[in-house]
Amino acid sequence: MIENVLLAWVIGAVFISSVSIMLIGLYEKHDENIPQNIYTILGLGGPFISLLFSVILINSFLDTGVKLDYQVFMWLDIEGFVIPASLILDSLSAAMLSFVSFVGFIIHIYAHAYMKDDPSYARFFSWFNLFMASMFLLILADNPFMLFIGWEGVGLCSYLLISFYFENEDNVQAGNKAFILNRIGDFGFISGLALLFVYIGDSGLNFSSLEANIHLIPHATLNLIAILLFIGAMGKSAQIPLYIWLPDAMAGPTPVSALIHAATMVTAGVYMVARFHFLYSITEEIGLFIAYIGAFSALLAALIALRQDDIKKILAYSTMSQLGYMFMAVGLGAYSYGIFHVFTHAFFKALLFMGAGAIILALHHEQDIKKMGALRSKMPFVFVMMLLATLAISGIPPFSGFFSKDAILNHLFASGHYLIFAMALFTAGLTSYYMFRLLLLVFISPAHKEHHLIKESTLIKLTLFVLSIGVVFTGLLNIPAFFGGNEDYSLWLNLPDIRYHISHSNELILLGSNILVALFGIGLAFSHYKSSSKDPSFGYLEIIIKNKFYIDELAHTLIVRPLKALSLFISDTLDEKIIDSFIHKVSSSYQRLSYYSDYVQNGNVRYYALYMSVGIVSIFMYLFIGGY
Amino acid sequence: MLSNIIFFTLSLTALGSAFAMIYFRQPINSALSFIVTLLSIAGLFALLGGSFLFLVQIIIYAGAVVTLILFIIMFLNIKEENLPHEPYKGRWILFMSLLISPFTAVLISSINSMEFSILHLKDFGSIKDVGMELFNHWVLPFEMVSILLLIALIGVIVLAKKEESHD
Amino acid sequence: MIDVGHFFILAVLLFSIGMVGVISRRNIFVMYMSIELMLNAVNLVLVALSHHHEDLNGQVMAIMIIAIAAAEASIFLALFVMLFKNARSLDANFFELLKQEKHND
Repeated sequence: MIENVLLAWVIGAVFISSVSIMLIGLYEKHDENIPQNIYTILGLGGPFISLLFSVILINSFLDTGVKLDYQVFMWLDIEGFVIPASLILDSLSAAMLSFVSFVGFIIHIYAHAYMKDDPSYARFFSWFNLFMASMFLLILADNPFMLFIGWEGVGLCSYLLISFYFENEDNVQAGNKAFILNRIGDFGFISGLALLFVYIGDSGLNFSSLEANIHLIPHATLNLIAILLFIGAMGKSAQIPLYIWLPDAMAGPTPVSALIHAATMVTAGVYMVARFHFLYSITEEIGLFIAYIGAFSALLAALIALRQDDIKKILAYSTMSQLGYMFMAVGLGAYSYGIFHVFTHAFFKALLFMGAGAIILALHHEQDIKKMGALRSKMPFVFVMMLLATLAISGIPPFSGFFSKDAILNHLFASGHYLIFAMALFTAGLTSYYMFRLLLLVFISPAHKEHHLIKESTLIKLTLFVLSIGVVFTGLLNIPAFFGGNEDYSLWLNLPDIRYHISHSNELILLGSNILVALFGIGLAFSHYKSSSKDPSFGYLEIIIKNKFYIDELAHTLIVRPLKALSLFISDTLDEKIIDSFIHKVSSSYQRLSYYSDYVQNGNVRYYALYMSVGIVSIFMYLFIGGY
Repeated sequence: MLSNIIFFTLSLTALGSAFAMIYFRQPINSALSFIVTLLSIAGLFALLGGSFLFLVQIIIYAGAVVTLILFIIMFLNIKEENLPHEPYKGRWILFMSLLISPFTAVLISSINSMEFSILHLKDFGSIKDVGMELFNHWVLPFEMVSILLLIALIGVIVLAKKEESHD
Repeated sequence: MIDVGHFFILAVLLFSIGMVGVISRRNIFVMYMSIELMLNAVNLVLVALSHHHEDLNGQVMAIMIIAIAAAEASIFLALFVMLFKNARSLDANFFELLKQEKHND
């Protein structure tokens, strides 16, 4: 079918635009100035075309319900190791494609408005588009190796874009941190893939073959593979212990934070777990492990966010916390709820970041919320947008966040793992508290200093508005039976979820408790921050929280310093003194050999005669004695 | 029987004086021992029936060459300080003997394994026969040797002359 | 009881002595005379062979060799005179023009 080719062109469009911007940008360095509009056309045109194609594809898929697949070319065809470069569109990838292409395009428009005056506009957009291409490849891949290529690609673009303002060394270090931690995760991922290949690689490596043959692997190895793949997700999706890069990643420009570190790249880990549902369904212990990691990450992030003052960092920790929810869901078998939360989260988190970006721009790049205040009257539109998003993230009905979060919480309770449920519930309260803290401190509580505001551009406001529609209304996609809906979204996703039956009364209680906890958090925030911007202290715990539980310092001491010492040791001692000196000795021994060989040619004829006679005698001896 | 005695005497003399020649420090002593060696060898030539060679050896080799050497030695007026300092002469000779000895040993053993006829004085090698041989078959080398001598003569004069012009 | 083989053995010994003399001694006169000794040993071999085969060619060759040795003697000694005039020494080790220059790296 003709549509199948479009699968490749969804990726191709943004890839081509990225490469063309790169080439034109390089040409510009060499020659004259290119007007910025060319870059805009390319940089926005690529994502737009990808969006168009995605709409066509999803439309076709929804109509026929038939999976679309397309092999672009045969990549590797070695004996027993066959990896075609093929793409697939089933309900899962369609679900991801829908919001990635749409939110991605909207954020590209926002990025144009945000980065309009930046001299490195072209560089930004070439990498931004490259990111989209990699993300598309990731979600459309038909086998885990193509997925991994996309996985690496988004990691690369994340690094490039975090250190976008590379003149400042801190930004570069943040980029390095992200890339290195990502790499650690990738190591686990590759090891998992290698194990899969070793055991069931012979009969094809695309997801359907893997699914068919997964039961052939012994259980202990299955557990190992599941853990290794999840380590990759830990790195990509910023869960404990590989999360410390995410707050530092806020050093990149705000559109980057919005797109990559909120809506798309960080959710790749959740997507991967959902993609490998056939593996995680049969390794329930690992699923439980994933859920616990998610729970602890969510809780830790929420605690740290309570006392952060940088607006973007609060949002970063909030992302980590929400990712924890997603992992709790997919860990305990609720794949659809996890993906649905990915979907809704993309909208409200992107909206939050974009709003924060608008505020930062208006206040001349001020990012400390303690220095903001009473902006409601000066930026009313942004206030309303942020309010909608904050309500969504706090899980207040009827916004989208409520439906996704509530579904997850109910599932957690019904699964019987009450500790996880308790942590999730407590975190929900914390979430509403710190998000409203942010909202209040920025917009409502009295300002400490007068700000001269720069006017927001209309384009930005437009993008915020478009996303807000999604924030408000996407919840309708998955209305649970309790409210009279059919959970159409989950149904359509058709993943092997574990379904618990919750009695009507239990469900009512749960619903009530979720909402109450959220409202309690909001109320507490109001009481603390409505009229003052001072944080109420809660003792020594506050210092620990304010310093992010000293995790960064711990990682630095335990890991970075020994590694640095080791590498210094190797470079100074091992390399210089041992290896270099060994090579030097070899060369100097040749020199000494020649120095002593000089004595042979001493110009003395007698010695030459001696050498000749020695030669003659030996040859003579050889000829005569050897002959006998 | 007589030939045996003569042979042994002559060979021992030759070997002894040869060794003495390479051992002496003063060149005059060496030259004189060399004369003894040459005379012994001349005698051996005679034993082998080379009468003409016997004469030629004595006249030319011992009588002209070594005389020339003695003449030059005295002409140069060698004093004690001009002689080279050879502290390890003995060791060198010993060392070299050891080095050469396998060579010598192999040669001797291979000679021993060959069959030779007993020496007997025959009527052989008269001067007339040598002359006939020389001037019938060896004319060309003969003439060339004379040219060679001429060249040597010229060469010596040139060398000596050059030296004089530098003074 | 003396056969030609003994002459050969004698010649070999003389030749060896000559070789030892050339290399061991530093005095150029002794070196020269050792060379002449080697030539004489060869002569002895030639004559012995001519006696053995009853062929006069060996003797004639020996005559040639003696003549050439005489020519070479004159040249040698002229050179010795020149060398002595220049270096005032009869030491063979003295003349080291072929020596490799020592480099200090």
